[in-house]
Amino acid sequence: MAWLGSTVLNLFFKPAVNIVRTRYHAEKTRVIRRYGYEEKIWSGGLLPRGGARRLPMPEYRPAFAWTERKALFGQNDYIDILGPGDLHPVKTLYTVPSWIRGVSGNEYQILLRKRKMWANTGSRETRPTKWKDMEKRISFLYRKLNRKTKTGPSPD
Amino acid sequence: MTSALISAIKRLHISVVPQIRVFSSNAVSVPSADQQNTLTVTKKDWAFKPQYTKPREVWIENIDTIEEQKLGLFELHPSVYAASPRIDIIHQNVVWQKKIRFVSWAHTKTRAEVRGGGRKPWPQKGLGRARHGSIRSPLFRGGGVAHGPRSGKTHFFMLPFHIRLNGLTTTLSAKLAQDDLHIVKDLILPTDNPDYLHDLIEKRNWGPSVLLVDDTDYAPRNITVAVDSIPHVNIMPVYGLNVFSMLKHDTLVLTQAAAEKIEEQLLKWLNADTRTQQQAYKLNQV
Repeated sequence: MAWLGSTVLNLFFKPAVNIVRTRYHAEKTRVIRRYGYEEKIWSGGLLPRGGARRLPMPEYRPAFAWTERKALFGQNDYIDILGPGDLHPVKTLYTVPSWIRGVSGNEYQILLRKRKMWANTGSRETRPTKWKDMEKRISFLYRKLNRKTKTGPSPD
Repeated sequence: MTSALISAIKRLHISVVPQIRVFSSNAVSVPSADQQNTLTVTKKDWAFKPQYTKPREVWIENIDTIEEQKLGLFELHPSVYAASPRIDIIHQNVVWQKKIRFVSWAHTKTRAEVRGGGRKPWPQKGLGRARHGSIRSPLFRGGGVAHGPRSGKTHFFMLPFHIRLNGLTTTLSAKLAQDDLHIVKDLILPTDNPDYLHDLIEKRNWGPSVLLVDDTDYAPRNITVAVDSIPHVNIMPVYGLNVFSMLKHDTLVLTQAAAEKIEEQLLKWLNADTRTQQQAYKLNQV
């Protein structure tokens, strides 16, 4: 009969239950998912460059305008007018390699000149791959210019 | 009525000026009456006399003291030092000077030059993938570049002789007209201290940068030592003079001999038949 007594007790005895909150919603922290992964895409709204994330602008360091090369730029360019007359300004362009000094032309013309001037310098033996690439490029350009493109009007 | 008009016209003193005037006088050094200064006024007799314009007169200054002393007056030929300031010609010359020495060394490799790529990456058919013949094709990452820059692109061209000649005269004239051209007697300094040159430039208001031009290759020791440690003061022989340097430096200082040498050379070419002289440099002739 003990079960009857407990059933009756349970039926009539209602203890007062006071709900106490120990964890409030505002205090909840977000669960960190994929800990250690840094999101690369900016999701903070418009204008990704505003605020702390600035674009890495290099510090402005003005170049020195009076180095010897810049201060004496263009010297001897009028040597055929002001000099004794036996020298042309092209001959004084010492900063330009000799095979390209005072030359104008397309890639094919420049390469032909380079090959002609480098033919006896030993470059063919010391840098065979470079030489082969140059020959290959020349033959490619020859075929392109002569067989695949129209020539312009005659200059004469 | 008519007689009154005629008399009025006569009172105006209209005199007819001859059309062609030769302004050059004979080469005379006239010592001035001012004996303390021993000022000399040099009148010149040029081979090609100025016809329509007057010679420009400039002071000859000294640089052996910081205080400016005027040592004499000097005539400059108007065809060289008083040409019309053609900014377009100056610009053409500056662009030419920049371009003749510029070579673009930007370079890309074509599919033929990139290492490897000889084998067909996967069979032509049966895999459901796109057909490819080489992993160095321009479509591939790490492949060659189609129509990229090829090294050794020059921008060389030769500006016509007379445009370069006029570039020199017009720049010299602009410098003189703007009071940026000074004539000094010589380049002899009392010390080789660069501070002396700093003080002199400051005192005479020659601006931050100065280009000194002498007619000899070897300048006196003091000035070369002083100039060597100041980057914005430079020294050049006459044949090194050019439009770019004249514009880069604020003030152009010529020695008297250099001014005469420049004048002589430019006058020679201004009055010469340059067709034969330029014949050797003509390109693409038939």
